[in-house]
Amino acid sequence: MPPLRPWLSHDKRRCAAWLGALFVVSGLSALPPAPPADMVLIPAGNHTPLLRAQKDPAQVPVAAFYLDVQPVTNADFLQFVLTHPRWQRSQVSQLFADQSYLEHWAGNTDLGPHAPPGAPVVRISWFAARAYARWQGKRLPTIAEWELAASAGYDGPEGKNDATLHRDLYQWLARPTPAILPDAAMARLNFYGVRGLLGLVWEWVDDFNSAMVTGESRADTGLDRSLYCGSGSVGAKDTGDYAAFMRLALRSSLRASNTTSSLGFRCARDLSP
Amino acid sequence: MKKNCALLLATIVLNQGMRAGDPLRPNHRCCEEQPAGAYSANSIYQLDARWTNDDGASFALGQLRGRPVVLVMFYASCGYACPLLVADMARLREALPANVRPQVQFALVSFDVVRDTAASLKAYRDSRRLDAQWTLLHGDNNGVKELAALLGVNFRQEPDGSFSHSNVITILNAEGEIAHQRLGLQGPLDDSMKALVTAAARPGGAGASAQESSPAIQ
Repeated sequence: MPPLRPWLSHDKRRCAAWLGALFVVSGLSALPPAPPADMVLIPAGNHTPLLRAQKDPAQVPVAAFYLDVQPVTNADFLQFVLTHPRWQRSQVSQLFADQSYLEHWAGNTDLGPHAPPGAPVVRISWFAARAYARWQGKRLPTIAEWELAASAGYDGPEGKNDATLHRDLYQWLARPTPAILPDAAMARLNFYGVRGLLGLVWEWVDDFNSAMVTGESRADTGLDRSLYCGSGSVGAKDTGDYAAFMRLALRSSLRASNTTSSLGFRCARDLSP
Repeated sequence: MKKNCALLLATIVLNQGMRAGDPLRPNHRCCEEQPAGAYSANSIYQLDARWTNDDGASFALGQLRGRPVVLVMFYASCGYACPLLVADMARLREALPANVRPQVQFALVSFDVVRDTAASLKAYRDSRRLDAQWTLLHGDNNGVKELAALLGVNFRQEPDGSFSHSNVITILNAEGEIAHQRLGLQGPLDDSMKALVTAAARPGGAGASAQESSPAIQ
């Protein structure tokens, strides 16, 4: 019995569910419940961290989880600030969001011409993204979860072998962020049924601040036991994946209150809430 | 000024990101209408996480308001940096002028939400002979993550249960605003002490200007 895969059609899924039910009855295996609306199941897998200490395993196991199909849009976030005024532009504490928070919106609760409803919301701080996720009964994905979901190609689970994906990704990296972002729903689905992880906007992750790097290149080349305590404080081993390094550099340079014109987020959820 | 490789990369990537201000909407985050008693705009006491002290009592960081604080995130079973950080806090205390010393509070907040229970922290207090001037706190995952994010403290739990973390001593003024941070283990404590003396002299706290504070990791 192969694991139930989220990209199966509904008919196939129903069929698989029946099969699964038989297994449950016979006590052999249990299927996860159907994904919540607008989320997909990312099956358990392994994440290969870019930075690791010598005694760290090369791969980190990631449990199956649910991930939003697309990044949170302006329309989505508007619903949040309408009911949570403390996260409106003029109300938010500067401790939790910097000066450019939602500055492309026309007003506190007015999207305006620079923030189409269907475009990913950007100029969002980590604190704001977490607050939204909590409101939804969700959370931000971890680096390992996000990278696992993004490691898939368009047609298979191994994105590194997907030439089309690479072409799209590096074209995106080479372009400046457009003043008005495209509709999130237009982004191409990857193998897991997720849109826009690569090539739309950068995305916050819950543990963006878990890398024991200083951002100062000389200090990062070796173990700096003064700034950091623990085995995590070492340099990178594998410099092959340029885009992944860009993400690492971005995450390492961010403070939780920072907001930028190309940084948005999406939510995740555990299988059992 | 040191060139910061990661930041430079990110700046190239983001190309319009992190603008310092917005000339079109000056002071849009002004806080004139802040009700009396509310925390100042930069006060970390705005964080609404709940903590528990080593007596098992519920604790909000805002309870530290009114006096300067030396704040360190740590975990009790840490074998390397945390004991050094706690020793530095104690040295700082000894070095303070006699009229300032009693005003300063010392707070240790644990990364370890599982093992650092009230009882473990109590045992830690006893073993280190930390008196009533010290507050030892543990909390939940969200509180730890958000406090660390506010302080610019990077951390992660390793597979063996230990924590990798930035070594940072933060000085808060009476309002809970970051007045100074010492990064790393080797730096002198002079600046931390000056920040404490300044903070103690201005119990209102709000006078400690942004120019005096230094950003954390970046």
